[in-house]
Amino acid sequence: MKAYELIKETFSRRGYIWIVHVVWLALYGIFWWLFLPSGEEFGRFIFIWGGFFLPLALTAGIFGDDIASGRICVLVTKPLWPGELYLCRLLGLSLQAAVQFILASFLVFILHFITKKGNTDYLSLWLFVTWLLFNTVAALSTSLSVVVGRTYNSLLMLVVVVTVYFVMSLLMGSAGPEGSKGVFAGFIRYPWPPFELLYKFANGEYGKYSLTVGRFSVTKSVACVVHSLILTVVYSIVGIVLLGRRQFSRQRD
Amino acid sequence: MKNKIDVWIIIAVASLILEGWALYAVSASPEHWRPAMIVENDPTARALYDEMIKTIRKAESLSYTSICSAPDGRVSIYGVLLKKSNFFRVEASNDASSKINTLVGDGKWLWIFWDGIRPYLKVDDAEGRKKTQSEVYIKKPLATGRNSIGNEIDLLGLTWYGIILDPSIFHGYIDPLESYIDGVRSRGPYYIGDQECDIIEVSYMKAQRTRYFWISRENQLPLMMKEILRLSDNQVRIEEWSDVALNGLVPENKLEWSPPDGWQQWDVPGPDDVLLTAGLKAPDFDLLSADGGRIKLSDYRGKVVWLCFWQYGCPCCRQVLPYLQKLQEQYQDEGLEILGFNCADDKRIAQRYLSENALTFPNVLDSTNKAKNVMLRDYSNKTQTVPLHYIIDSQGNVVDAWCGYEEGHKHALAALMKAGLQIKKE
Repeated sequence: MKAYELIKETFSRRGYIWIVHVVWLALYGIFWWLFLPSGEEFGRFIFIWGGFFLPLALTAGIFGDDIASGRICVLVTKPLWPGELYLCRLLGLSLQAAVQFILASFLVFILHFITKKGNTDYLSLWLFVTWLLFNTVAALSTSLSVVVGRTYNSLLMLVVVVTVYFVMSLLMGSAGPEGSKGVFAGFIRYPWPPFELLYKFANGEYGKYSLTVGRFSVTKSVACVVHSLILTVVYSIVGIVLLGRRQFSRQRD
Repeated sequence: MKNKIDVWIIIAVASLILEGWALYAVSASPEHWRPAMIVENDPTARALYDEMIKTIRKAESLSYTSICSAPDGRVSIYGVLLKKSNFFRVEASNDASSKINTLVGDGKWLWIFWDGIRPYLKVDDAEGRKKTQSEVYIKKPLATGRNSIGNEIDLLGLTWYGIILDPSIFHGYIDPLESYIDGVRSRGPYYIGDQECDIIEVSYMKAQRTRYFWISRENQLPLMMKEILRLSDNQVRIEEWSDVALNGLVPENKLEWSPPDGWQQWDVPGPDDVLLTAGLKAPDFDLLSADGGRIKLSDYRGKVVWLCFWQYGCPCCRQVLPYLQKLQEQYQDEGLEILGFNCADDKRIAQRYLSENALTFPNVLDSTNKAKNVMLRDYSNKTQTVPLHYIIDSQGNVVDAWCGYEEGHKHALAALMKAGLQIKKE
């Protein structure tokens, strides 16, 4: 019951959250309607909007708000273990995303059925990797929210991600030493949220190089999923440790 | 308490092992060339490959549908009919409902014609295309075993990537890549649908190119092929065969064609026709060199420059590059500078090739878009044909430009003399 209330709270904690869901669903519909994309093109769109921007919108101030208002002191008092609070919130976010992606798939199937245009190839796979990315980004942003005040966790994530990819594109296009590029590319690929790996997996790029007739290499696909889940766990553990160690004040900021 | 800690330790270790495996599995990608990709020859696998080629060659007729996926994701469908001694028909479309472009070999002539307005081809310019966009055909003489249908398919205009297995093998044509096979190895049995097949891996040119063939055990013909071409950006192509009929009846009327009234023959401009002409300023560039420095064309003012655009996978380039090295050694003191230019290959592959063959003349080795634009836009006018040669005089003006390899290099030597170089008589 306690867990259920905590999960529910991730949806009701701010008035704008349901608006975010409606707006995002509307965006999916508008994008599909205007551009009539293939399942893959739509998948790439939802990968960024649902996998990156949605968790930023939903996690803005997820702990920062409670820390700023002093409510966190009540929340992390026994018998509620800080880790439990963190996990319930992350689970709440993940469930919201899952429901939204299921609704998005219904929306696209209905639009496709009515208009007989576009196609839905590989859509379910794209929605799955989007959900995996959502979880990773949500975990990182939630952990950041423990140490970054108010809603700045999402803003910080947005700025850092955009900056990193901008710097990366500059580096890759420049004539700098190959070694530094390799280190940077390795950082972006592994400890960073798995944008590249999941994108390549869904896009069928690993299958190309394998001895499969179809689009996917089973080993690499499973490895991408495992890596993404482990990253989510690692980001969460960092957040839980930070939450358990921080001293909070009842005073409002 | 101790039990709880033990459980957490076990979970942590298991996660670490799992993550280690995941990182290994993801990073062990053959995306980039490495020497380990070169295949050692396995005689059993080689026999399977040879048997496949032999089965195609010894057939009296062969028909199949080939579905090709290009690296850019575009799919082309080719309906192929082949008959001895030199008859063929290839009908190409992007999907079942779209227009069909056709290539016919009637034993004497090769005909290429398009359904309605023809697609934009590499050799087209806006002006020329206006005049030849519809009711035109191409006619070329045929010589048994000499023409490559695979090369001519480019002119159908559906894709820039073509097909993997050249149908002309049926007519006795020898794929130029045959002599560059490093080895063939088996990759085990496999089922495609209910058809049992053997997979073999063939590597060419020290694994710059790898092809996988799924060969049916029923008729020794390929069911599927996959090719990985390791350039600066890897290109993966897939070709699937279906509706295969070996030695079946081929309708004779499909193997002939004559142009309808009012249609005109179109002489396709050759790659040489679209190059920079003599007297024009050679466009300057400042790009990365093979030794890690930079090469700027204008730094060579005062010297006669032979600028040669080449690619590792091009057999003609392999013939011309050693000659350029010889020329450089012979005429460097007289004011000749050879400049190689490669913007297509994986840097490691190209560097290894240069050092293995002791090619020491300066080489641009740069696969950035800037370098690609220099070649495609400034010098080759989109044709991408290599080897592409430019002779540039000491003022930086183009003296001559041509594509390909010429035995004896008379054309090149004449151009160098025209540029002011004193050539010794051998």
